[in-house]
Amino acid sequence: MYIEKLSLANYRNYGELFVEFENKVNVILGENAQGKTNVMESIYVLAMAKSHRTSNDKELIRWDQEYAKIEGRVQKQHGPLPLQLVISKKGKKARLNHIEQQKLSQYVGNMNVVMFAPEDLNIVKGSPQVRRRFIDMEIGQVSPIYLHDMSQYHKILQQRNHYLKMMQIKKQTDPTMLEVLTEQFIQLAVKIVKKRFEFLRLLENWAKPIHQGISRGLETLEITYKPSVEVLEDQDLSKMIERYEEKFNKLRTREMERGTTLFGPHRDDLLFFVNGRDVQTYGSQGQQRTTALSVKLAEIELIHNEIGEYPILLLDDVLSELDDYRQSHLLNTIQGKVQTFVTTTSVEGIDHQTLKEASTYVVESGVIKKVN
Amino acid sequence: MVSGTSAFLKGKKYMHYPEPISKLIDSFMKLPGIGPKTAARLAFYVLSMKEDTVLDFAKALVNAKRNLTYCSVCGHITDQDPCYICEDQRRDKTIICVVQDPKDVIAMEKMKDFNGLYHVLHGAISPMDGIGPEDINIPDLLKRLQDETVQEVILATNPNIEGEATAMYISRLLKPSGIKTTRIAHGLPVGGDLEYADEVTLSKALEGRREL
Repeated sequence: MYIEKLSLANYRNYGELFVEFENKVNVILGENAQGKTNVMESIYVLAMAKSHRTSNDKELIRWDQEYAKIEGRVQKQHGPLPLQLVISKKGKKARLNHIEQQKLSQYVGNMNVVMFAPEDLNIVKGSPQVRRRFIDMEIGQVSPIYLHDMSQYHKILQQRNHYLKMMQIKKQTDPTMLEVLTEQFIQLAVKIVKKRFEFLRLLENWAKPIHQGISRGLETLEITYKPSVEVLEDQDLSKMIERYEEKFNKLRTREMERGTTLFGPHRDDLLFFVNGRDVQTYGSQGQQRTTALSVKLAEIELIHNEIGEYPILLLDDVLSELDDYRQSHLLNTIQGKVQTFVTTTSVEGIDHQTLKEASTYVVESGVIKKVN
Repeated sequence: MVSGTSAFLKGKKYMHYPEPISKLIDSFMKLPGIGPKTAARLAFYVLSMKEDTVLDFAKALVNAKRNLTYCSVCGHITDQDPCYICEDQRRDKTIICVVQDPKDVIAMEKMKDFNGLYHVLHGAISPMDGIGPEDINIPDLLKRLQDETVQEVILATNPNIEGEATAMYISRLLKPSGIKTTRIAHGLPVGGDLEYADEVTLSKALEGRREL
């Protein structure tokens, strides 16, 4: 799929913007602080109804304005699809094909993007929170049910934490109520854990050969899920529920003392291993970079496999950070099949056929112009 | 008085209206979903109505408030206590359908297919909003069940997190008593096409499938 038209109103530093893109590599050139990343972000937000940079939607609205609007037209295998997202201080409204969607979980997943930005190195290097966010966003793109389960999970987690807080200060003492909340919590938790296991297995299958390619056959990548409650990948749901029940029974008093839910998908993590060693702790800078790149490229293949179309790739300020070998590996992968957006301050020094054929746009203080 | 002539008047509500009508506007604004403009429109409409009609309207308001109470048995709104459903001798007293809201009773009654009794909880359990099991009409339900006549309790709370928690909570309380406890089904709407159902509803329907 590819995006052919994008228009913005009151989005970050853009008052108004309309631009057309082609189904190939689109290079967005510009000095720093002109609004290159904002264009990339807006494409991402149009697809995911969420920014990769911030969880506060209000930041996306232009200073002193009431709302921001992103509109786009995506060409898919079966024809064009107009999308619209309006972000106001009260919330978000999404339209698909001009029809307003009641739930965002119905909207997300109709346009697929993969973003690779410098901060994505944090998927390998950063805190577990970053990795959970990554995995949730990616599964959400291919599974609306997962998005729904996730939002239900957060609700029940809040309810349960609230009740535990009340128990902590002895305002509530009903153990039956806690049991009910725990049962609801476990039902959703195991569904999420199961789905994450499945997704990571797929991701690993795609990432392995890519990583091998980038490292010239020297490195083997493994990805494992590290659950906070000891469940195994091949266990069925009822077995997982048992494990969870055991854990929560054992730790009930501790949870009541602390006043919060101590285990569950919101405390899980994933680990990357290269040649059997944990990359986060023992990997070199280069290995961490390669791992992040392999995972992102694997995502492209995974989405293609799940939905039958290639997603749109957004490379924000990363091309210049990769060495020649990784650069050409990346460009070879996308050549001719993935619509790609590249932001950079200059294209000099990147010698690749794909970039020579690319369209170029220049951004200067909130105005975008097509150069060739 | 000309508006905007004096800074002193700015920000004062309805300075231009005589007191009776500004009071009426204030009263309309107490209703949900009614802002200052709609309230003013309604107030002026009342002025154009016949006096009898206005009196009837006012009486209806006062009567509804004065004469309607909650049924001491089931918690449904009623003008006589116990309510007409609880009093009806033809109804099956062995089944109680537990709902969240009086409006849910009306919905069930429209169906004309349920012949048992009701119990209205007036809410659902939600610790986040400070609503615990003791804050809704659960104690009264337990009292009703001490009587041997009831054989089945149908839990018809809403199919969301809070409604589900409430249903699970009640079913746990009832377990030792041996009373049959059932939960209404959720899934596909009747008469709809499978292809128009959203993914989440479909997956719920699949989870709740039954053998034929």
